[in-house]
This record gives sequence, C-alpha cells and structure tokens, in this order.
Amino acid sequence: MANVLFTNVRVLDGTGEQPFLGEVQVQGNRIARVARGSRAMHGSGLTVIDGAGATLMPGMCEAHTHFSWNDQPSLGSIQKMPVEEHVLWCRHIAERYLRRGFTSCVGAATAKPRLDVVIRNAIEQGLIPGPRYLAASQEITVAGGLADETLPHLPFEELNFGAVISGPEEMRKCVRMFLKYGVDTIKLNLSGEYITGLPAEFTPMTDAEVATAVAEAKLRNKRVSAHARSCESIKQCVRHGIEIIYHASYADEEALDMLEARKDRHFVAPGIAWLIHTSHHAGEYGITPEIAKGMGYHRELEMACETLQKMRRRGIRILPGGDYGFAWIKHGTNAKDLEYFVKYLGFTPMQALISATKLGGEIMMRPNDLGCVKEGYLADLLLVDGDPVANISVLQDEKRLLAVMKDGEFHVAPDVQAGRGRLAVNAA
Amino acid sequence: MANVLFTNVRVLDGTGAQPYTGDVQVQGNRILRVSRSSSSATGGATVIDGAGATLMPGLCEAHTHFAWNNAANFDDIQRMPTEEHVLWCAHVAKEYLDHGWTSCVGAATAKPRLDVVTRNAINEGLIKGPRYLAASQEITVHGSLGDETLPHIPYPEYSFGAIVSGPEEMRKCVRMFLKYGVDSIKLNLSGDNFVPFAPAETTWMSDEEVAIAVKEAKIRGKRVSVHARSCESVKQALRHGAEVIYHASFTDSEALDMLEANKDKIFVAPGLSVILKLLYEGEVIGVSQAKAKDMGYERELEAAVNSLSAMHKRGVRVLPGGDYGFSWAPHGTNAMDLQYFVKYLGFTPMQALVSATALGGQIMMKPNELGLIKEGYLADLLLVDGDPVSNLGVLLEKDKLLAIMKDGVFHKEPQMRSGRSSRWTLNAA
Repeated sequence: MANVLFTNVRVLDGTGEQPFLGEVQVQGNRIARVARGSRAMHGSGLTVIDGAGATLMPGMCEAHTHFSWNDQPSLGSIQKMPVEEHVLWCRHIAERYLRRGFTSCVGAATAKPRLDVVIRNAIEQGLIPGPRYLAASQEITVAGGLADETLPHLPFEELNFGAVISGPEEMRKCVRMFLKYGVDTIKLNLSGEYITGLPAEFTPMTDAEVATAVAEAKLRNKRVSAHARSCESIKQCVRHGIEIIYHASYADEEALDMLEARKDRHFVAPGIAWLIHTSHHAGEYGITPEIAKGMGYHRELEMACETLQKMRRRGIRILPGGDYGFAWIKHGTNAKDLEYFVKYLGFTPMQALISATKLGGEIMMRPNDLGCVKEGYLADLLLVDGDPVANISVLQDEKRLLAVMKDGEFHVAPDVQAGRGRLAVNAA
Repeated sequence: MANVLFTNVRVLDGTGAQPYTGDVQVQGNRILRVSRSSSSATGGATVIDGAGATLMPGLCEAHTHFAWNNAANFDDIQRMPTEEHVLWCAHVAKEYLDHGWTSCVGAATAKPRLDVVTRNAINEGLIKGPRYLAASQEITVHGSLGDETLPHIPYPEYSFGAIVSGPEEMRKCVRMFLKYGVDSIKLNLSGDNFVPFAPAETTWMSDEEVAIAVKEAKIRGKRVSVHARSCESVKQALRHGAEVIYHASFTDSEALDMLEANKDKIFVAPGLSVILKLLYEGEVIGVSQAKAKDMGYERELEAAVNSLSAMHKRGVRVLPGGDYGFSWAPHGTNAMDLQYFVKYLGFTPMQALVSATALGGQIMMKPNELGLIKEGYLADLLLVDGDPVSNLGVLLEKDKLLAIMKDGVFHKEPQMRSGRSSRWTLNAA
C-alpha cells in the first residue's frame, strides 16, 4: 500500500464544502491528513504527487449496479450467457467500474445465483480488481412477474434471470438459499416493468411474501432492496422496512410522507438513465421513441422527474446509478447519472456530487469512514483533470480521471513518467 | 502490436544451435529478421538493448491442467464451485504466461467447459494467458481414475472425470465435448498410483470405447490425448491413433518399437513431477517415503526412467510439462521439468530446451511457425537474464524473465525507464 502525498490539488471533499487548494496525505489504506494551502506537509518518505491544480475527490459510488447485465439489447441475451462466460464477464465489468471512478458499487441483483457473491469475494481476496461491492441475490419475483422469463413450452427456471417463488414458504427457502451463498442484500421485484409487458404500476407480490423475506434477511442482519416503480410497491417498502428503493417513480403524497418520515432509513436509487435512454436513445435497437412512448416510458419519465424532485426537496436520500449494462446504456457510462440529476431532477452539481460520494459511503454502510476526503476516512480517491462542480460531465471522460485509488492503492496510477504529462512525481 | 528490435542479445533459437550474439526484429506478431551482426532498426522500431541477455522462444507446457487448484488431493478440485473455478483458471492462465509459458497444451479440465471458456477468453483478449489448446474432462470408466463418486454420493458432478460405460455412452460424451469446442479429447486408459483403487499398471478402457472416441474426434478433425501409464495402455493409444501420450511409464520392447514407428505422429509428455515429488518430498504433505513406495512410486520411477530414456534415444518426441497444480508442485514451477529431463532421462540441457520450444511448436500444431527464433515465426519470446544452457534453473525465476512477449505483444515489458539507473536503455529509433 502506498504512502502518498498529493500536493497542489483542489480538494473536493464530498461534504458540500467548496473545493479548496490543499494537500492530502494517504497512509496505508486511510487518509492520514488533509491540509489547506501548499507546503503544509513534509513529503519525506512519501511518494509525492504534484496534482498541478487537478481536483482530488472521493471515489464515486454506484447505488444500483448489475455487473451481470451484459451490454446487450435484451434480457434474453443475459440468460443465454453460460455461467462460465458470465463469471468472466462480471470480472471484466468490475474492473471497468473501478477504472471509470466508481470505487464502490451496490449490487442491485445478479442474473445467476452466485455471480455477485463470487465476484465480491474475488475482489476482496485480491484475485481480481474491482470496486468495493455489496453482493445481491437474484431478483426474487412471483410467477408472471418481472424476471420470470420462462415460456409455456420451456418451463425451465434457468431461463429466468430472477428466482421465481410462490407463497411465503417458497420465499423463505429462496431467501435462505441466497443468505447461505453469502449475499449482502436480498432483492425483491415488487412492481412491473414496461419493457417486459408488465406495467410499472403493477404490484404483484403479497405482503405475506414480502414480510417473510424481510424477516429472514433481518435475522441474518442483511438488507433488502426492491424494484419498486408503482406507488403501492413504494409504500410496501416503507411498511416492511426495505431500506433500498429502486426507481420509486410513482410515489403519491402519502408515499412521500411515509418516506420522509423514515428518511434516515431509506435510500432511493432511481436509475433515471434507464428511463431517459429507453425513452429517447434506444431506436438503434428497435425501441424508437414512439415504441417507448407506447410502452409507457415517456409517461413514467415525466412522473419520475416530478416525484424525485419532490423527494429531493423533502431531504430523502437519492443516489445516482442504476440499470447500466444494456446496449443503449452501457456499463462504464454511469457518471451520466450525475448530469441527469442536474438536468432532470433539479440537483445542483454539488448536490449531485454529494449524492455520489458522501451518500455513497452511507449506502455502503460506512457512513463514518467512506465517501469523503477527510482525515481517518478510507482512501478511495479520484484525481480529476477539471472541475466537476463547474462541469459535471468531466467525470464521464475516462481520460480525465488521472488517478483512481481504492483502499490506498492506485488502480489507475497517475502518469508521472519524467518528462511526460502535466504531473510530476518526486521520491522524497 | 510491437515493432521492436532486440539488439545485443544472445539468440538461443530453439533449434539446438549454440547461442550467438545478434539482433532480432519483431514486426506485428511475427519475427521479421534475425541477424548475427548488429543491425539498424527499420520502420521506427523500438530498440531494446538486451545488454547480453538471452533471447529465446517462449516455452511450451505440453500437459497442463489450469483447473487443478494447487491442493494436495482431488477432492479440493471437485469442491470448488464452477464460478470460483472459472476465476481460478483465469488467474492460473496468467500465472503461466508470467512464468514464460507462452503455449500450453490442455491435458484435461475438471468441469466440462472450463478449458474451452478460458481458451476463448484468452483469444478474445478478455484475460491474459498463453496460447492454449483446450481439453475435455478426463473421460473414464466406472471405478477408474477420474471417478470420484462414492456409493452414497453417486452424482457425476462429484467427479473431475466424465464417466462412461460402453461405446455409445462414449460417443455421446465425446460429441458433447466437441460441441463445447474442445481441441482435444482426453481418455484415461490406465490407472494411477495416486488412487489406490486403480494403480498405474492397470488398464481400464475397452478397445471398442477407445475406438469410437478416436473416430468421433477425427471426424471433427480433433485430437485425442491419453493418460497411459501401463504398458498395455501405451500400446492401446498407439493402436488407435491417439497423438498425445501422457506418462508412458511402463513399456516393453514391443511398446518401444511401436512408439518409435509412430515417432513423427505422436508426442509423449511424461509429467514426472508427481512421481518425483511424492517419492522424495512427500513428507511435507504427509506422504512418507515408505508410503510412496507402497503406492508404487519407486517402481514406477524406475520404469519411467528406463522407458523415457529409451524413447529419447530412439528419437520419440518427449516434452516437458505435466500435472503441475498440486500442493507439492504448484502452477508456475513447471520449468523443473527441464531439469528432471537432464537429471533422469539423459537429456542435455540443450535437448531439454529444444523439447520445450521447437517441439512445443509442433505439439501446438504450428510446426512451421512456432517454437523457434526464425524469420517468419510467431513472436513468442523470452528475454532471460542468464544462460539457460549452462543453468536451466534461471527459467524457474520470474525475476530473471526480463521480458515476455506473446504474439508480438509484451506481456511483461523490459524495464527501461529513462533517467533511472538500470542496465536498460530505451531509444526510439
């Protein structure tokens, strides 16, 4: 692990403070010191990286990640990938997230039972590079719900990217299986999804099933997340204590009140890019804006923008990320979400940055040592060529990420070869 | 891809010729030019001054099991779930390349698709690894090596082999592996002293089963390799036209004559490490020398030394590599085989190097373009700090491999940053 001193950097600390010129020292896997101004610290014994005015900020967190979605235009092609290739795909994608500045990801569901768990374990063992990762179960759904992809003449469960259950006892067994495998989160599909022909407003899982799932997860101190687009499914999340709510497009005033009352418990990760791109940028793959409109996506996008703006005003934690990994919304382009938060949801760039960093530490269950550039915090850092506050889209450009550090180690080391580039390195 | 000129290197070209000082230029994925005098770079090549290091062809491991997981038994191989096993294979594939093995011949995998998937991922550039020929699982019969089921656990997933009974089951099994895309079908013809229920000198598979396996493989233009320790299994392999014979410990004069008669068609990769390690260093894993002798390893070593030395004298192609991936011989230590060839089988160091390079190109089915430093050959090259001819041990040390190139691309680049003190200098010509 590095002992590194970043000098001459603009520190964007993730708390909402305006960036300041300063120095940051990393020792082992933690931030040892943060100081304002220059020449505040001695570089002796450290690798000194002169940032030449670049921005040093916390690594970003993707709050709704599916490593196993395979950048294809259909759900069917996720299922047609055999398990061996799928493992290598997830391995490949995990590295891409890290390289693109996402040092933390919250697994939102995996496509085969153990993919997420195995990838998380391999990252933690140092066998493969990747972000900090919370591993999810498959999407647990009911027969006929989102993620049930079987056909009448092909009733084989391996054709599903979800795990299909019916009734509380099947739910219990299913949840216990995923807990045995070692997931951090149980994912439930509480609402529908237009692209599969099931309206977003559809809420097919019974309270008894949801209650059993949550009870079993809590017994093992694990978390539950939910695909919840419909108003009723959002309320189901609050009633049952499902901490992570994905999408939340159709919340009514009652749902908003319920959420606001428990806003310290819940996180909302809307995956807004999915709605935007499916509505307007998927024509190349056969989903023209007219078709998307016919499915219901234009209406949902409009509703979601309205609903999420209300949530933001009520102080409900909304985080970027979500459902990247389709042909029209590929893995690695996730920093688009920050731009969309500004454009569509009324966030200031600084608010979008906080939601990707400080709130990221909170959803990663490390509110006191992850997500900020602060003394004692874990050294997950990005060195960015540019000012994300002035131009949030710089984070989408891999070339602008001069360095990516996770847990005190460079994944992308600053290019500091003598005589090249704007950065200078001095071994003091 | 590289456009690289290695200057001031000792060229060990893999043909058996004595090393000479010269220059080697690589363009794209091929060796463009080899010269005995210093030459000037053409076409903007990056010049690497080797400062007298040895430039040699990448090594070929003729008997590789990526899926063996460095454990002391078979059980740990079977208990690794598929997902972890895929990541393991990806990890090990890179390990081979890191150690200078730019080609490996898959000798069997532990779950149906591991080898095929790993080979495909290497070819697609998704993961790092050597050129690879993917194998099937070991196809075996009930009760022989590879059948790990227990009476109360009769599930095929519990075995690292695929178990068949009769020619028609064999046909189906071979076709399944061919469908998956293997380059070779592996048959377990003999037993193995590691498993007491099927010792090395026993022969298990019927001629009808072997015949149908070979026939199905040849229909699709694929190769058959065999686990053949017993004398009868070696003959069976030769009778049926299996091209790659693993082990071949026990032979008689008839078997040796048959081997010699087929020497242009077949390859033998003995994989001596299991025998030697268990016999001489087994204590560390709880196998005393008395136990190893009891298992039959002393007898097998004596037979193998005689058989393989005789094959070598008769001009049969004997290649290094084999059965690394156990706790006593972990992946990456495979270059020990070259020393074993010298110590036990009467090879000169140069002959051992030829078998790891020139013969490697032949077993990889690229006899005219792989395994030598020769104009037009594929640029699989090692830059070695030292002289392997006088000390084969240098090939065991990762740090002595100053550069590793596969298909014209550096897997390991020579360190030659400007401004730092090192023996390397970099000049863009």
